[in-house]
Amino acid sequence: MNYPIWDIAMGGGVLMAVVAIAHVVVAHFAVGGGLVVAVTETLSVRRGDGELRELARRSSLILVLLSTVFGAVSGVGIWVTAGLISPAAISALIHTYVWGWAIEWVFFIVEITTAVIYYATWDRISKGAHLLLIWVYFVSAYLSLVIINGIITFMLTPGAWLQTQGFWDGFFNPTYWPSLVLRTGIALLMGTAFMMLAALRGTPQERARLVRYLGLWMTAGVLVAYGGYRWWEAQLPASVTDLFRGTSPTLPQLATVRHLLLWALAATLVVVTVMMLSLPRLRVARGVAAVVLLASSVVFFGGYEWLREGVRKPFLIYHYMFSNGLRVSDIGAFDRDGFLVHDAWATQGVGQGPVARGRAMFRGQCSSCHTIDGYQSIRASLPDDPDMISGVLMVLHDMGQTYTKAPPGQPVNVATLDYPYMPPLVGSEDEISDLAAYLGTLTGTDGTPAAQGGRP
Amino acid sequence: MNMELIPGLDPHGLPGPPWLFQSLLVLTFFLHMLFVNLTLGGSLLAAVSHIASGGREGDHRLLLARRLASVNTFAIALAITTGIAPLLFIQVLYQQYFYTATILLGWIWFSLLALLVLGYYAAYLYKLRGAPARGQGGGGWLVLAAVAFLLIACLQVAVYLIQAQPGQWARFAEAPLAVLSDATFWPRLLHFVLAALAFAAVIMAWWAVRRARAGEDADGNRRIAAYAWRWALWTTALVLADGFILLAVLPRPVLLSLMRGGAATMVPLILAILLAVGLVMMLARGSDPVQSPGLVGGVAATAVLVIAVMTIVRDQVRVFYLQPATSHFTWQTAPQWFNTALFALLLIAGLATIAYVVRRVLGAPASGPEAA
Repeated sequence: MNYPIWDIAMGGGVLMAVVAIAHVVVAHFAVGGGLVVAVTETLSVRRGDGELRELARRSSLILVLLSTVFGAVSGVGIWVTAGLISPAAISALIHTYVWGWAIEWVFFIVEITTAVIYYATWDRISKGAHLLLIWVYFVSAYLSLVIINGIITFMLTPGAWLQTQGFWDGFFNPTYWPSLVLRTGIALLMGTAFMMLAALRGTPQERARLVRYLGLWMTAGVLVAYGGYRWWEAQLPASVTDLFRGTSPTLPQLATVRHLLLWALAATLVVVTVMMLSLPRLRVARGVAAVVLLASSVVFFGGYEWLREGVRKPFLIYHYMFSNGLRVSDIGAFDRDGFLVHDAWATQGVGQGPVARGRAMFRGQCSSCHTIDGYQSIRASLPDDPDMISGVLMVLHDMGQTYTKAPPGQPVNVATLDYPYMPPLVGSEDEISDLAAYLGTLTGTDGTPAAQGGRP
Repeated sequence: MNMELIPGLDPHGLPGPPWLFQSLLVLTFFLHMLFVNLTLGGSLLAAVSHIASGGREGDHRLLLARRLASVNTFAIALAITTGIAPLLFIQVLYQQYFYTATILLGWIWFSLLALLVLGYYAAYLYKLRGAPARGQGGGGWLVLAAVAFLLIACLQVAVYLIQAQPGQWARFAEAPLAVLSDATFWPRLLHFVLAALAFAAVIMAWWAVRRARAGEDADGNRRIAAYAWRWALWTTALVLADGFILLAVLPRPVLLSLMRGGAATMVPLILAILLAVGLVMMLARGSDPVQSPGLVGGVAATAVLVIAVMTIVRDQVRVFYLQPATSHFTWQTAPQWFNTALFALLLIAGLATIAYVVRRVLGAPASGPEAA
């Protein structure tokens, strides 16, 4: 903590979701598309098949334009956005996994270099050299997924790292392998969904054949993704699956997301089967079908990413750091010393007095998830009764004790807490009273007219 | 200085000794700057050349603009890719200062992403599309790309100056654009932009000379080489002059630290100045570069060397800027030697793979049914 606070009305989490989902869709396309293009060109060379060659060629432009341009920029965008909204968390990840990221960078250099040469050398070099380029591209792209998968899964299931702080203990965590299988399936889905758009640009005879060809890839992608997803769920601890599974999940909205993503995957299978069986009869609808296919694949993938992020709440790194940057290990010190002595930026420019201190508490601990009137509006979630506000704050504060008193090696089951998706509130009793006073000004329950919206 | 505003060090410590990350930061930043200079300088030179040509087919300046746009689609990809590593290492070493600076700029810093996408796709549009991207009206795409990359240069200078001056953070928190009134902002930006123009011009001259001597459109390439050579000469002379201004307006403690740093700081600084003076002298010697291929090769090699030395000086300046703050912190280290060795091994393997693939590609030209 103790970083300046970037106030954005849409909420930092929403911005991060937009950047991250845009990136992962393209990044997985870069991996899956690489494999399908490599196999397609190899088949075209072996069989002398001009249609497959054209499909590979047309797809390579999308591959280069999306992966080397948008994929590269949005990848940097994840660091840029994380540094703006969760600097403490990205710092912890970077300091733990800098060598992982450095290794991924090596694969990325190979991937980008071969991608741009591959696209630029159609009709200009031998078939063998061209095939070498696309296979080197695919292998390096897949290896970058192998690396980044370890860092992403670490955040939800850090496993033995919590005790050892060891790089490989966190990297090969309980959800590493299922997630790798799932993401391999997703990569195939994304790759073929984009290539389907390229396939529809050929003659009617070409179209029917190429759609059947890509349909087989996509069916394989659906099956691998489904298997990987089920395996991933099975590896999650019960305290996490309780949030979104069972007859009465703790977080019903996440249960809805789970249903949605599974139905989207089923829809993908149905649409691709229909396209494979009846494309010659589909005239106007074939373009629509391809777009639906792409959309359902993205909904499945986006839904999974949403679920993965959602079940991690209230943590950024499970059992280590909360979504507002507070470390579990800091709860005791912050309760003892007071929060604001540890976070000078929260008090910067807010003024003097109890309400100002309360505003500083809000900025430091709540504003990473809540805006005043925008996304996750705090004003809209506050009760009218000031005593109830104080009561809720005390419950949130007491949750901190639950974390600090948990025996080593036996982390808290968040599903059993009163507010399972919220970090505990830390600070002295006076600071918590000040926060209650500030929140009272937002609803007008402190006896003054309600403060108007704007920056917290 | 209000030390309370400086976030603490990350409790995980550094996963290796500081000198290692410092070296990697400087080395990878040097690689990054080679492509950044091509991207920024190339975009500006392409836009100016296209406008100067009036979009007339056959004009050597139009040919140069097209060549630059073509090179840029690769240069931008490599600028972003090579930029990832220094961005990673700066977060390891200076996360307290770097994140704070970017948060103080907020949306201004975030706009970097939109500008990158805009500049990149504008360059591609010019390269891939026929009219209206090309011809008389096509210069608009190049101007768009040039403006986008120029704004990114402004952003980078702003972040550097804010992160380097924690003592000014309370002021920047109130008004982040106050960084524009920093005495070093404009000379530093100018230094950056002029050096990029000079480097792109040198590389274009070198390339045109190679083509002309290979007998490929000898007259057109001779004119391109001479045109780029003039750009290189004047911009290098201006970089040199601006460099002295930048040195003069540096905060006094930073300048004194640089001057009193002994051989470690004086050797790179004096070497950079001497190399720049040498560059100007070499560029002033010939007006027809095609006649002096050795000189052109020497200029190109010296330009790369100047960038390498200036990268070291730039890093030293940052260290001196931050010294009042960093002297209060001591890095804890928790080395991960196995992972460090794995990275080094894979880096060598990765670069060897690229070298092998490029060699295979260059050695396998084909056309007609034999081609891919």
